[in-house]
Amino acid sequence: MADTDEAAIHMPSQDGSAHIEVDLSDETQDFRMLSNISFLTDGTQASIPKRGEKDFEPNPTLYQADILSASRQAMHNALSYPRIHHPKNQMIGVYAPNGPAPPSQHTPSNLESIAEGSPQTYAEVPSTTTTTTTVGNVHPDACVYVANPKSNLFKTIGQADRWNRIWLLPEEALFMLERGSLNIHWPRSEVGYDEDEEDEGDENNTEDSGIPMSLQAAYAAFASRGGLNSERFSVYTGLRRLGYTITRAPGWNDDGEDAAGIEDSGSEESGKHGAGLAGIYSRFMEWLCPPSTNTALGPVAGVGFHRSYDDIYSKLSIIPWYDPTAAPQAARSPAQAPYRVVFHVYKPSTPFKKSAPPPPDFRIAVVEARAHTSVPTLSQLGALLESTPLDPPTSEKMSRQLYMRLRHGYRNVILAVVDEGVVSYLRISEAAFGKEKLYKQKALANKTQYRPKPKPKGR
Amino acid sequence: MESDPPLPVPISYIAGSYFLFSIDAVTYLRREHHICGVLTGTLPQIPQQNVFLGLPLKLMPEEARLLVDNGVACIVDEVKAQREGMRALREADRQKYRRELESQGAHAMRLQTNRKEQQREEALKRVEAKKTAAKKKAAAAAAAAAAAAAVGEGEDNSAATGSDEPAAPDTAPAPAEDTLMAATTTSITSTSTPTTTTTTAPYGTTMGITPATSHPPLPYTPSPSSSTVLPPPTVPPSYPLFAHLHAEGYYLSPGLRFGCQYLAYPGDPLRFHSHFLVVGADWDEELDLMAVVAGGRLGTGVKKGFLIGGAADESGLGDAGSVRTFSVEWAGM
Repeated sequence: MADTDEAAIHMPSQDGSAHIEVDLSDETQDFRMLSNISFLTDGTQASIPKRGEKDFEPNPTLYQADILSASRQAMHNALSYPRIHHPKNQMIGVYAPNGPAPPSQHTPSNLESIAEGSPQTYAEVPSTTTTTTTVGNVHPDACVYVANPKSNLFKTIGQADRWNRIWLLPEEALFMLERGSLNIHWPRSEVGYDEDEEDEGDENNTEDSGIPMSLQAAYAAFASRGGLNSERFSVYTGLRRLGYTITRAPGWNDDGEDAAGIEDSGSEESGKHGAGLAGIYSRFMEWLCPPSTNTALGPVAGVGFHRSYDDIYSKLSIIPWYDPTAAPQAARSPAQAPYRVVFHVYKPSTPFKKSAPPPPDFRIAVVEARAHTSVPTLSQLGALLESTPLDPPTSEKMSRQLYMRLRHGYRNVILAVVDEGVVSYLRISEAAFGKEKLYKQKALANKTQYRPKPKPKGR
Repeated sequence: MESDPPLPVPISYIAGSYFLFSIDAVTYLRREHHICGVLTGTLPQIPQQNVFLGLPLKLMPEEARLLVDNGVACIVDEVKAQREGMRALREADRQKYRRELESQGAHAMRLQTNRKEQQREEALKRVEAKKTAAKKKAAAAAAAAAAAAAVGEGEDNSAATGSDEPAAPDTAPAPAEDTLMAATTTSITSTSTPTTTTTTAPYGTTMGITPATSHPPLPYTPSPSSSTVLPPPTVPPSYPLFAHLHAEGYYLSPGLRFGCQYLAYPGDPLRFHSHFLVVGADWDEELDLMAVVAGGRLGTGVKKGFLIGGAADESGLGDAGSVRTFSVEWAGM
């Protein structure tokens, strides 16, 4: 007896679209498809090319060799596209290796004067001790400031300080530089000015040196800074490219506490007994013949009156199960790295305000596949899930569909498993099978679907 | 056409990962050494998608190790190299670097201006062609058909050309302005004081450039005795299998997407589908039969073979260190 799915395996399907939706990013795409798009002439055209045909295996034909070298040439051309900034809309950020700091007093107000400032003018300025006032509400890990922020990206990226400069976290700065939106310059302290000139002995001199950071330098400076690593950055930049808004979660640092989970789950076990007279009656009956907890003697359902199938079923359910809506036990072990929520993710459609971020649509923990090769243990998963707030399946659609409810679960988190730059996303949710009483479901379904026809009236 | 990079190629070690930033190195290693890596960066020309990605190229530790073992590459502690290298820059280096970038930026600006100019001319030509065609058509129509019909068509055509026209003036003023600015500023710089202290070009004539690599101003590779050169990367126990398959001409990439360690391609993944899902195992390692069955079914389901392999030890058949491979296929009896 052959399984149908086996038959399907051996029959190469004629129609690829009948299968699961093909994710183009799963495979190396032919860069020749990319060169069909002319970026330089038309910026509005942004459709992604369809995948090209591939051959089964190499053969020594010149034809194949030509196609391959054309593909490689297309890839070379695409990758060597420069990151250029038109002077009219160039944005310049400056790297601040020592974190957020207020501008030094003699900082010229606009960038043009910095750019035109010759070393003589710097020499004239007396070295000022930078005042150690706070810069306002800026994340301490921020390390790049942008003095002329003008981009739509800043709707969701960066934090402004009191001098109208926007400070960027390492991943934000690297992402913006990588996509060619931001030109980051070295500060004067990092490119040898303090060795040449006696007056610049200040380590905190974060003035623009006019020397741009290369992509390589930016990776070196930012990719391992402030808790960032290449796995987290892969997740960040991958989701950003797709249009999601993604911010650091409180669990970013290993010692950071994740306050998100501790919420009053205000759902108590109501509705066990109906309200009103029927409720009183059922309580009375329960008192009259209390549910026997001892199943060693007699039938599991117990001897006595059984007034409805529901009673019998509820007595038959002797396996204890975990109720995710119940308040968590006191001994709540904190989620350990890497099974901690490090990113909050918002769909592009969610209105996002930097000053007051709404509750996130997704919570993501990042796992390095090479370092953690086994499935997380139940306690790791439990701690991770408990660190997320209760998210019961309450939408109108889900209240109708049992399997949607089970799939959605009561708490959920997304694991991003990164294997050398290749990211796989897994959604883990806490399904409450115990809360879905099938016998009640059946009765309900029976009532709606097989309702006995009303008897014809009349005589 | 691409040029071959000088050897050894520097591989940047940053935050526990191995990166390549030079496009020449990426193309060269792919063509000559069958090392593909994984592109992880955003392409600046189309930043809103994940199908085509750009530099940097991330290498598996196995790939980096293989290149180092073959004497093609060396590992550089990039964080340290950058910090020390940039701090050691002298005023002369900085000026040279700035001038280089400026000339590149000016070149990019010229290219773009020319392109805009061309586009403008083409657009103008199109408009002209349309106008003449419309005139001819209108004339012909007027001659041939009744007066009422001709009027209607004439209106149509004038509407069509009218909608085309705004495109040309849109692009026209900008390049003219730019070339004007460029012309004036170049004359200014040529006549201005020859002191090299004013290195920055006047505002608006050059593109800002974010270079991909730090080769200028930093040296291409640090000197071998330098402390920024790192020892070869540590690799997982499956490295002998990796090296063996690579030596047999396979292209290998990380395989978690298909639930394995490596994907083995018979040729460049740009042009070929992978043939094997590869999982490394130690000699005499106990394998769970369920894992073999699962791998075999998975591989067959995606039209690939499931391949287990590892290096033989002294007790094994064959020479110690030689790699043996086994491919598993779901027989479907």
